[in-house]
Amino acid sequence: MSVAESSRARRPRAVSTRLLRSELRLIFERRRNIAGMGVLASVPIIIAVSIAIAGTPQPGEGPTFLSQVTSNGLFVGLAALGAELPLFLPLAVAAISGDAVAGEANIGTLRYLLAVPVHRTRLLAVKYAAILIFTVAAVLLVAAVGVLLGFALFGTGPVTLLSGTQVGTLEGLWRLLLVCGYLTVCLAAFGAIGLFVSTLTEQPIGATIAVVGLAVISQILDAIAALAPIHEYLPTHYWLAFGDLLRDPISTDLIRTGMLSAAAYALIFWTAAWARFVGKDVTS
Amino acid sequence: MSVSTARPALRWAIPAAVTAVVLTAGVAGRALTADADPALPPRTAAQLLVDLQTSAVTGLSGTVVQRVDLGLPELPVSPGGQGSSDFTALVTGTHTLRVWYAGEQRQRIALLGTLGESDLVRNGRDVWTWSSSSNEATHLRLPTTEEDRPLPTDLPTTPQEAAEAALAAIEPSTIVVTDGTAMVAGRPAYELVLRPKDGQSLVEQVRIAIDAEQKVPLRVRVYAQDATGPAIEIGFTQISFETPGDEHFDFRPPPEATVTELPPAEADSPAAEAPEQPAPTVVGDGWTAVLVTDGPDMTDSTEETSELEAILGALPRISGSWGSGRLLESALFSLLLTDDGRLLAGAVSPQRLYEVATG
Repeated sequence: MSVAESSRARRPRAVSTRLLRSELRLIFERRRNIAGMGVLASVPIIIAVSIAIAGTPQPGEGPTFLSQVTSNGLFVGLAALGAELPLFLPLAVAAISGDAVAGEANIGTLRYLLAVPVHRTRLLAVKYAAILIFTVAAVLLVAAVGVLLGFALFGTGPVTLLSGTQVGTLEGLWRLLLVCGYLTVCLAAFGAIGLFVSTLTEQPIGATIAVVGLAVISQILDAIAALAPIHEYLPTHYWLAFGDLLRDPISTDLIRTGMLSAAAYALIFWTAAWARFVGKDVTS
Repeated sequence: MSVSTARPALRWAIPAAVTAVVLTAGVAGRALTADADPALPPRTAAQLLVDLQTSAVTGLSGTVVQRVDLGLPELPVSPGGQGSSDFTALVTGTHTLRVWYAGEQRQRIALLGTLGESDLVRNGRDVWTWSSSSNEATHLRLPTTEEDRPLPTDLPTTPQEAAEAALAAIEPSTIVVTDGTAMVAGRPAYELVLRPKDGQSLVEQVRIAIDAEQKVPLRVRVYAQDATGPAIEIGFTQISFETPGDEHFDFRPPPEATVTELPPAEADSPAAEAPEQPAPTVVGDGWTAVLVTDGPDMTDSTEETSELEAILGALPRISGSWGSGRLLESALFSLLLTDDGRLLAGAVSPQRLYEVATG
């Protein structure tokens, strides 16, 4: 073993994943977060079981995609995502991101975290990376529970797209995965807003409520036709565009705009969170 | 640590700069696609009309956005908002349609709604409609193809003739000019402007953007008198002139859908099916023509008539020397329903309708 090799071996890695791993342990091992994931997973279960018992609603009644559940089980996943998108999914992301900084400040661990010889910028990047990973996990959890239970109860069959065309189960699963990816991008932008609000306060619950409130208000404003000129600037405006991934062929215009809008929101609020966090006086 | 901790103002400049960059990028991106007028060799109105006739587009596909802002009063029964995928919702708001065209025999239009879609597909003699929200399809088998029909003999034989005939037909009432160029769906286009000569018309002008290369209309805008923006705008936001593949027209209703077979209409006697209706009279001509007909029959109380009554009830009651009734006023047209059962409509001001109602 040469000298150069041994010195390289001893040197700590340029980018250590320890910080991220500890952050992820904090998120995924906390009992309240596990309970929250349980709530997220309960919606597809409720949908699947109630349809298995009571039968499908008439087309046009009830939440979208519900009437198609019996033709292919994967619609349970889609229906659950559609049902959780207005409140439950933003709530989950708001809870985690609102807790990111304010939670540590609240229980007095923030100053110990800042004592770690790591630049605050990197700390904030790790916090956001953990929020992203949680968002992916939350969306996939809802879809996966829905799909697995749906397949078990209703089996597989041709998937009818919004355009009336039918595709196979594999193509259907691929479309569902695209929907999950798009919703993750949309919700991740909300995670950046939550991270910013979290740097402003020492009350994590306050940050969470503020972010959920923003999601709800944004959706209300989006529903008022007279406010059409401001709709495209609302952070939730493009969320329902995920339906465009279920057309034949896929319509990409709104999806692209929605992803750009999400990227813009994420960039603005992450840098704002950075500006606040880097200069924050930590008293607790 | 560094500048970032020492100078708070400088630090906050970064998110501020990011916001500014994002907003300018958004606005600039839109301005680039909308407002840069391309330089094109000049063409006269007559030449453009010939262009429209000679255009030999065999196939296209694209996205069409339609905006309607007629300034209609809020009606109690909403025909469907922005997110609706019902074709009747097209009378108001903004809607996105996707179109595929592969000649006379094969076309498809899809109206995109939020988590919904309505389709109209023609494939040869088969015409299908599909609505994803109600999970319903209708099927119509056309009795004869277009080629089987005898062509009327008095049609103009050359595009030049056709353009001249078109100009002759509209010239007495309309000023036809070209007015600059425009970029529509990223393509340079000529703007053809039709302007009514009669000042009483509510229509100020109609602008048609014609693709400079393919000679097809890319966008139509209808402006009302004294309005800054168009009352009706329908145009491509994205277009491709490649003939779309067969898969777009091969519609098969999903097995669980409700399919309604429509009885094939008799091609030779299209009027035979329609119940007898008194022919409407037209007062005046050109842009200010007023249509006078019988009002809707409200005697039988079906769901439709009660819905109609609710809409009519929301309209303002007015009266004058001509009688009394209800008036629907919009930026582009007026509609008067008199209490003695007459319905008057036209692209004119209510005053003109009162004049006609007086008789």
